[in-house]
Amino acid sequence: MGSGPIDRRTFMKVGGGVLAAGLAPAVAAEAKAVGAKAARAVDATPFPVKWYPFTEHPDSDTCWSLSVGPDGRIYAAACAESVPGGVVKPVRYNEQRDNLDYLFNLAEKVDDPGDSGRASQCKIHYSFAPSMHDGVLYMATHLSGPPIDLPVYSPWYSWHDAKRCFRGSALLAFDTRTDQVLWWDTLIPKEGCRCLLHDEERGLLYAMSYPRDHFIIYDLKTRKRRDIGRISSINPQTLFLDKQHRVWTSSDYGRLVRYTPETDRLEISPGLLAHDPNYQTGWHSVFYDVAPSPDGECVYASTWCPNPRLMRIWHNQGEWPRVEDLGPATQARDLNFPIDMYDDHCGGLTFGGDGKLYYVASRWRDAKYNPTPESRKRNEGVVWCLDTQTLKREEVARLEHPTGLAHYVSRGAVDHNGDLFFGHVGNHPSGIFKVSMPADRKRKNAHLPIRMWG
Amino acid sequence: MQTKPKFDPNSPEIKAYLNDLGHQFVREGMMVAFPTCLSGMTTPIPLDESRITALDINAEGHIYGGTSGRQAHLFGAAFHHLTGIVLDAGVVPGCTTTVAVCCGASRTIAFVNGAQSGRAVAVPHIRLAEDWIQEWGLAPPVLQDLGECVPGEAVVHAVAVASGTTVVGVTTNHLFTVDVESGRIAVVGEAPGRGQLAMGRDGVFGQDDATRLWRFDVAGGRIRRGAVHLPDGEWTQPLRWARDRDNGVLFTADAAGRLFSFDENKFRLLGKAHLAPVGPMAVAPDGRLFGFCGAEMANLFCCDTVSGSVTNLGVAASVLEQRRYGYQFGDAVTGRDGEIVFGEDDNGGHLWLYFPKIQSARGAR
Repeated sequence: MGSGPIDRRTFMKVGGGVLAAGLAPAVAAEAKAVGAKAARAVDATPFPVKWYPFTEHPDSDTCWSLSVGPDGRIYAAACAESVPGGVVKPVRYNEQRDNLDYLFNLAEKVDDPGDSGRASQCKIHYSFAPSMHDGVLYMATHLSGPPIDLPVYSPWYSWHDAKRCFRGSALLAFDTRTDQVLWWDTLIPKEGCRCLLHDEERGLLYAMSYPRDHFIIYDLKTRKRRDIGRISSINPQTLFLDKQHRVWTSSDYGRLVRYTPETDRLEISPGLLAHDPNYQTGWHSVFYDVAPSPDGECVYASTWCPNPRLMRIWHNQGEWPRVEDLGPATQARDLNFPIDMYDDHCGGLTFGGDGKLYYVASRWRDAKYNPTPESRKRNEGVVWCLDTQTLKREEVARLEHPTGLAHYVSRGAVDHNGDLFFGHVGNHPSGIFKVSMPADRKRKNAHLPIRMWG
Repeated sequence: MQTKPKFDPNSPEIKAYLNDLGHQFVREGMMVAFPTCLSGMTTPIPLDESRITALDINAEGHIYGGTSGRQAHLFGAAFHHLTGIVLDAGVVPGCTTTVAVCCGASRTIAFVNGAQSGRAVAVPHIRLAEDWIQEWGLAPPVLQDLGECVPGEAVVHAVAVASGTTVVGVTTNHLFTVDVESGRIAVVGEAPGRGQLAMGRDGVFGQDDATRLWRFDVAGGRIRRGAVHLPDGEWTQPLRWARDRDNGVLFTADAAGRLFSFDENKFRLLGKAHLAPVGPMAVAPDGRLFGFCGAEMANLFCCDTVSGSVTNLGVAASVLEQRRYGYQFGDAVTGRDGEIVFGEDDNGGHLWLYFPKIQSARGAR
């Protein structure tokens, strides 16, 4: 894959229609070549970057989930959503081998194999959630991968088709101490799980369903599901928790949505989340990624919207939280064209061992606003460090893929050694980046207090 | 090893599938999702109180409706001239479900259920015909609680008679009437309430037992049990009805999705919706019947009531006014100019205006 412009839909179309049909030898050969160069270091700066492709799962095209497990190690989802019958394989970074361990074929574990004829168990989408008291990592699957004998899948079109319809989001309890799947259940029938959260004190999992955008509560003790109802149309990409055990997310119109267990209600905030008031209304300012501050007093968030915005939300204060707009995460651009959301993106928010916020924002060549030379790739993934005391930002690294893309980061996490990891979307095979942190920015057990949502 | 797909991308089946996928949302006509507010000026009805479950239209072409959820709200709405507003007329204390809204000549009577029983509530005529672009001003409407319809019984449904002076309703066990002007409620007698009532040319019909309808003669005040036999079909679910405003012909469906017309006490089998159950339906002025079918994620259908053919028009989606998918609908009414107004029975429910595809004036569709 070259450095020319490519949007995500084009990418997925290539993956689903051509690569899957065995008609893209060049792409497949490149995947093989990249595999041979696995774990290649491409940077020698204070923040060296390494790329770890999912070579043992060559169908993989996306990595939507990357989280630190209860054991302090990094887990990622090798997803295969553009491949008919594609399945997801959870992987773990092995620091002794400096490589990836492939844990299992999830579809096999939940008796829903890729050749079932239904939409496949193709991915885990922001849906790893740790359980600290027992070392379990919960994970829930999402949909989009087509049945093995169809080129694409639509959950709307096939909702009533018993032969084709996705069986449902599969929830697994993976014991990180024994590497065993302890049990599994169907979390949401017919729908995917967009994002997952664990309220460990109360033994509850929270999820957002796709496509109907319903708010789901799963009781781990009774293994019973409750559907609290629909929020809107655009899936929010994150749920997060406050000290009062309230669960937060966002609506289509850029408002906070709050679930309060005591009232069993979903409520919508009067105020709007951060957006560019010059030309945006708040519509589509849904949460993309949300990272808790180490002291638990606030969260830092980015939006899933053109010109993604960073913000800080004091969710433990007041009737409705104070939302601080920290400004755009990506570059200026012409506003008269709806930029591709694969190009303009910010994700991977995570706190480092130094107490600073790290995230990856895309950057792209633009004749007016960013005229980078042709010798550089058109799209770049920039690792930023935000000092949350001063709100000053520092560009600390650029992600580099040996041949492919490196600008669309889904999630980030810090492992128990204090190194940064980022999941990436858009290469064949997909994979993860490791950003080794300078010694003065690391600490042991830097992943604690742990983030309880995907 | 990479997965090998099991299909030929150039096969006619795959091409047809891809073509179908390209038309899975509102294949004909136009859907507009309108929020329960004056956009940009007022707040919509809260998320969990806005499941729209009852609609009617008055002589001015204004829509009145009610919601279900944590609290039941009653509202008025207008979409023509300089309007474009849904006005929340307020909540009915202690009530969580609106089962019917009936526009009378002078005001609207809504029927709402709480934990104990069902009540009638009068909504005054709301002066919605203002300039909602430039400047407006009206006093908040005041709801009038007319009291329990039948003590201890939930209201199931109600319809207004053509004159607009009387509403006929049914609880789980009794038939009652409401005088629109005075608000007086009178229990007529025993009749089971199962599903919706239908206002026919010669009386009000309701489901009696599994295979028959009772008929209420409004003028004579008499209930005739078992008056009409339902045709062969699966009559296991509460009935829903639509009525052709021009000729009074009624339409209903059985639990399998078979569509029937009902006229002069005779049923005629039309086609069959591709999904069941059949939800709310309404008739366009040209005689086409539009409705939703299927649970959880309903599909819009169109039935040509002359030929009986039924067409799947896909899942509801709106890109005008509000960008939204529509999955569940509670009621439908034919709008002033033939558009169909659907009430969305979902959290954050909207009024969905469906403008059917214009048919050729030269005969071919």
